Amino acid sequence: MTGGALAFCLIMVTGLVALIMANGLGFFWPGDIYRFTLKDGREIAGQLVEREQIPGSDTNVPGGLFRIKVKQANRDLYGTDFVWIDESAITKKDKPADAILIHRREWGDFIGVIVEVTDAGKSVAKGPQEGLKFLKSLLPQADATLAAIYAIEKGDIGQINYRQDALRLEIKKLEIKGEGARFKKAGIEAQIAELGKQYAIQSARIDELKKKQTANVKLTAAGGVEKELPLQTVVRVISPNTEGVIGKTLIYMERLWEFLSGDPREANTEGGVFPAIFGTVMLVLIMSVIVTPFGVVAAFYLREYAKQGTLVSIVRIAVNNLAGVPSIVFGVFGVGFFIYFVGGGLDRMFFPERLPAPTFGTGGILWASLTLALLTLPVVIVSTEEGLAQIPKGLREASLALGATKFETTWRVALPAALPSIMTGLILAMARAAGEVAPLMITGVVKLAPALPLDGYWPFVHLERKFMHLGFHIYDVGFQSPNVDAARPMVYTTTLLLLLIVVFLTLGAIMTRNRLRKKFAGSAV
Amino acid sequence: MYFIRKPAIVLAVAVALAAANTAGAQTVAVDAKIPAYKPAQGVSGNISSVGSDSLNNLMTLWSEGFQKAYPNVKVQIEGKGSSTAPPALISGTAQLGPMSRAMKSSEIDDFEKKYGYKPTVIKTAVDALAVFVNKDNPVKSMSLAQVDAAFSKGRLRKGADDIKTWDQLGLTGEWAGKPVSLYGRNSASGTYGFFKEHALNKGDYKDTVKEQPGSAAVVQGVTVDRYSMGYSGIGYTTPGVRAVPLSEKTGGKVFEATPENSYSGEYPLSRFLYVYINKAPGKPLDPIVKEFIKLVLSKNGQEVVVKDGYYPLPASVTAEELKKLD
Repeated sequence: MTGGALAFCLIMVTGLVALIMANGLGFFWPGDIYRFTLKDGREIAGQLVEREQIPGSDTNVPGGLFRIKVKQANRDLYGTDFVWIDESAITKKDKPADAILIHRREWGDFIGVIVEVTDAGKSVAKGPQEGLKFLKSLLPQADATLAAIYAIEKGDIGQINYRQDALRLEIKKLEIKGEGARFKKAGIEAQIAELGKQYAIQSARIDELKKKQTANVKLTAAGGVEKELPLQTVVRVISPNTEGVIGKTLIYMERLWEFLSGDPREANTEGGVFPAIFGTVMLVLIMSVIVTPFGVVAAFYLREYAKQGTLVSIVRIAVNNLAGVPSIVFGVFGVGFFIYFVGGGLDRMFFPERLPAPTFGTGGILWASLTLALLTLPVVIVSTEEGLAQIPKGLREASLALGATKFETTWRVALPAALPSIMTGLILAMARAAGEVAPLMITGVVKLAPALPLDGYWPFVHLERKFMHLGFHIYDVGFQSPNVDAARPMVYTTTLLLLLIVVFLTLGAIMTRNRLRKKFAGSAV
Repeated sequence: MYFIRKPAIVLAVAVALAAANTAGAQTVAVDAKIPAYKPAQGVSGNISSVGSDSLNNLMTLWSEGFQKAYPNVKVQIEGKGSSTAPPALISGTAQLGPMSRAMKSSEIDDFEKKYGYKPTVIKTAVDALAVFVNKDNPVKSMSLAQVDAAFSKGRLRKGADDIKTWDQLGLTGEWAGKPVSLYGRNSASGTYGFFKEHALNKGDYKDTVKEQPGSAAVVQGVTVDRYSMGYSGIGYTTPGVRAVPLSEKTGGKVFEATPENSYSGEYPLSRFLYVYINKAPGKPLDPIVKEFIKLVLSKNGQEVVVKDGYYPLPASVTAEELKKLD
């Protein structure tokens, strides 16, 4: 019976993971491009996505008729990325060797055949083969230019921006104080103007770099439409029909790396998820740092110091019940107490110059972490208490008999002995926190955060900032993106990533626990 | 003029639309008379937007474009439903309030109480709210009364009996007797409110409508569930679903959800997508907000509208909206 239940659970879990992996892992693999010629003379080129039986068709034809879903890309030309084709309408199907797939920075993928590559209006390479070779040789240079522009935008201009913001706040502060404001204000305004000039210099540098972007590639898409793409909009060029397995694997790795380390593009439906990974991990770590001391201290009090009686029992029942409260309730509490009450109070006291724009009085990574800490507090308390209950009475009594005070006994004897249990509680807490989305949605997660909560500007850790989260990313891309068909594989891949991160964080904690156990086993007797 | 009770989008402008018909889908072109965006000097700072989730993607795409023009500007976007925009504008936490429906008079009153003037509304795009069915569904067209009879408990349009199965919509064969499974949006969304007001005549939804957290979820539900019907913005169309042509009156002329029919107001469920801003009359607008709206109403901004699947504004409307900024 019990074995059967366990087996059933395991089958369900592996099934789920397998489903996610099957749907998510194939996302980066460049599939072959087929060209279909239809009965009505139309031509459609694209990658095969799925094949299904037309419902009800098996009544007339034995075995039934099938239709296929093809990713034809070229959203700007055709209106949609995907199209269903009845197999009975196809007269010819082949794999043209010169069909290429281009990943673009905007409008999704492009599938077509190269006509020519031009630079500054002059044709430099004609035809599919030569064009592809030339295009591939030009790309690194174009990428370097883009990287240089990005560096100026994020580095130099970011710096100017940061200082301008600080100065503007300084002015507002002076205005609120109102003393000798005019004299100082003029000085600060001069500084802002000076920074404005520096910005002009930097943006001129960007313009200079943009002048280098002169190369274009002209392609024909299926159906004979011509399209010219500027080279800087091209992320990579793939020729899936001629590429071997090794080449495709390299592309796969490259895209995987882009996914893990890149910034999101096109309203999060393309590009990478690095800010979301960062936000998730940072959230869980801050939550752990907050929840452990609180949970442990509470458990020690309940078990070691408090007089066991009705009151403690009631508290204990309350703590256990807290574990069963729906997470969204914690979220609402977080909004009401942390954000509006504590955060709003902090704003009025310390950041009056920024009002009405709130600093701490709006969702942020600190409030989200605190909410999650509350949510996972019962787990830590309960498991710490369990650990304390398991310590043999003799151990404590021996310590007391040797003349140690109660505090020394708790600190030197009980705490180390309970450490593995505390870690177990923390592991469970982390696993729960990493998967939680509902309370985060109202306490600080956003679709696209302009900056990471950790950066190079003082005070380096910006706990008031909003952040991105993998769980929310899954929700957002899966339920809200207009081009769901194109975004769905991304949902699976992100889910897989979230699972991996949870496993990774938990493994880290388990390893720490094992080390502690060994240490304890050596010193206990 | 600030809010229209019934946004029948009647535009007396012939709009040049290149509707190339390939593979059954349409590509919409931006009105050639709309000028491209020219970045201004001296724009810097932060801007924050709180509001509609239907407009969430559009806002994100616009802000991507805005940051390209002004690398020194930070844009923050939150989209949790149209109802979240007015409080954020009133408290000053957001400068932009995207909404997929017009503000209610109570919301405008709250704003006016705080500031002494009304919020300024900017039309940013045209959306046709579509009734989607599965791609295999042969239903030819529906009248709004039928839509009401399918989705609403109250049936305030009084046009038809309660529609529960597909044969009541004239389908035969395997479809006859199959119950209509309904998909809709959650109550915080402007799409929910608009559909309730304009398709159901403010009647209540049936309890069997499966409320989804996003428009894409509605479309996915209809894709998978063969005997279903759902509503959401036309921008979410995928090849797995089909938008049913609608008629205002039972037996009246049927119109497809196309840009032309939406502009002319003949498609019964077309609407504008708005961005609300806080502009004191007679005072210049914060340059960063002004430039953002200018970008939205430019050729670049309207191309983004097309990219996101909605319909762009005609030049006459963008010109009128731009006047509101001065």
